[in-house]
Amino acid sequence: MNKSMIVIVVSVVATVLMLLLLGSIQGNKADQAMINVVPNIKKLEPRSAEWGKYYPRQYDSYIATKESDKIDDVLKKDPNLVVLWAGYAFSKDYNAPRGHFYMLEDNINTLRTADPVDDKTGPMPTACWTCKSPDVPRLMAEKGELEFFTGKWSRLGAEIVNPVGCADCHDNETMRLSVKRDFLARALDAEGSAPFAKATHQDMRTLVCAQCHVEYYFKKTDWQDADGKDQTAMVVTLPWNNGLSVEAIEQYYDERKFSDWTHQLSKAPMLKAQHPGYETFKTGMHGQNNLGCADCHMPYVREGGVKYSDHKIGSPLDNIRNTCLNCHGESEEEFKQIVKRKLERKDELAFAATDAIAKAHFEAAKAWELGASEDEMTPALMDIRHAQWRWDFAVASHGGFFHAPEETLRILATAIDKGYAARLKLRDILAKYGAPGFEGPAFSNKAEAQELIGLQMDKLVDEKITFLNTLRKEWIQKASHSGKDIYDPKTEVKTFKTSYNAEK
Amino acid sequence: MKNSNVMTYVATACAVVVVVVFVTLVYESRALSYLSSDPKVCITCHTMNTHYATWQHSSHREQASCVDCHLPRDSFVKKMLAKSRDGYNHSVAMTFGTYGKNLRVTANAAARIQNNCISCHAEAVSQMHENSELYVKFDDKVSMGRRCWDCHRMVPHGRTKSLLSTPDNLGVKER
Repeated sequence: MNKSMIVIVVSVVATVLMLLLLGSIQGNKADQAMINVVPNIKKLEPRSAEWGKYYPRQYDSYIATKESDKIDDVLKKDPNLVVLWAGYAFSKDYNAPRGHFYMLEDNINTLRTADPVDDKTGPMPTACWTCKSPDVPRLMAEKGELEFFTGKWSRLGAEIVNPVGCADCHDNETMRLSVKRDFLARALDAEGSAPFAKATHQDMRTLVCAQCHVEYYFKKTDWQDADGKDQTAMVVTLPWNNGLSVEAIEQYYDERKFSDWTHQLSKAPMLKAQHPGYETFKTGMHGQNNLGCADCHMPYVREGGVKYSDHKIGSPLDNIRNTCLNCHGESEEEFKQIVKRKLERKDELAFAATDAIAKAHFEAAKAWELGASEDEMTPALMDIRHAQWRWDFAVASHGGFFHAPEETLRILATAIDKGYAARLKLRDILAKYGAPGFEGPAFSNKAEAQELIGLQMDKLVDEKITFLNTLRKEWIQKASHSGKDIYDPKTEVKTFKTSYNAEK
Repeated sequence: MKNSNVMTYVATACAVVVVVVFVTLVYESRALSYLSSDPKVCITCHTMNTHYATWQHSSHREQASCVDCHLPRDSFVKKMLAKSRDGYNHSVAMTFGTYGKNLRVTANAAARIQNNCISCHAEAVSQMHENSELYVKFDDKVSMGRRCWDCHRMVPHGRTKSLLSTPDNLGVKER
């Protein structure tokens, strides 16, 4: 046998063996593809139950957010807030958030969204739906983002019928986490330090939450619709161009002379913080250590022989064993005490801030009444604006006291500082106009405070109930008979719970 | 003469085929990626999905990657030898389907892992290390005579770690 023959034989044997191995690898790859196969769910399917058919554990735990059903009336806890928000709908009704299951229900029931009678009335823009439902990305995809952000809140009542759910965070083709609201990506890119395109899976475990748990405002945007008609959209925009800190965002709003409303008493150009959860979390110890929201709010849990991410999003304190104790060594009781103390510290400073700011609003109103000029008042009003913005930024995300205790207390300290700076300036003005010892009226509860700023609560509640019994019912009728397969009766909330209902 | 010429051509063609098939094999098996230390390389095959998923949800995620625990860290040569050894065993198991649904660490790997536990947590276990001389050895393959995870059973993969136990983990799909 010559050399060529040897080469041929060895080659054939080697080729056959390698081809067999290649076949085996392809087989394993096919297995992997099979494991990763995703059920056939419609793109942006808004009904979570449709996803739940294939992911029953995740769906059941999501539905269990129902258990978080207590109405926690924040205005009742600190009536100063009624004064702080005089002239703004938050003074009527403001509760701490309940479980995700109730998002839509609470948005519809709150007195803030008031009592529209058709698709063109009511005080709120469509933007108020933005974070409430997977029907929002569906509509944005169907009609375009600007079209979605145009018109009144009531215009979309029959279209937005599912509480925030699967389609808000998951891609139907891969099940991977995906951000469905482009304003988040735009804001991350504008801020620049962590562009959206570079987000890892671990980043996404926070960013899907940051679609909503962030500070934003409604930016007036002119556009032309398909018929060439001029339209104005109120586009949810995250004010992150200068950075994520309270000062950077304050500067952003100041540069644009933006204000959410003019205060009813002080006439200050006010800002309302939304819920800057992401911004504060990033400054805290857990955020700094690259934890994601899902690490504590959606722990990996075991059910029989299967592990999955718990979709019952709520306080990690309800499940310390599977959250805190994954990394920490203290006992459950110790954890509860540590967090309780953090909350008390925040509450103490937050109350000091709202007390000072509420007094400043009354003092400013008195100064105007006595004839103070705009030039005299402006510096004090800017202090009020900044004080209230900072207090609101520190508390509005609800979890800030835990996510970033140092930052939260620091911001509250600056809020108190600015609040008293305003009061000092107002003291001078009041002294000049002959009221040196002026003190604002006293009030001891929510109802008194609301009366003081002239809110006719009974009327507001009656109008709301009328809306709920008429237009709201029509929306559900329309949605269930639209032929569009968007309404899921399982999402209906059976027990009517609101702050005003409980009082009545 | 003519005949042997033909044979040479055929032999050359065969050699070319071998090279082509070999390159395809390297490409398809992503063989070169195994030189990396990226945890995602360990889920090139689905067999490690559960181990990846459980590690990804553990407190070790930010501190130690797969190779930080599973391969020796004291010398590059030892690391590569261990990697080759594991790689060979894994390839055989994958190709002939000789693995079950519940993977268990080999004695050889257990010894490496234990050394790595001790190297990071040296301070915490220094006294234990001294005391271990006095106690019964449950496992003479690992230093100190007893596997850390006999007691710390949840670290880091948890007790439920069969290949069927993490059906919906998203992290494994992120490549």
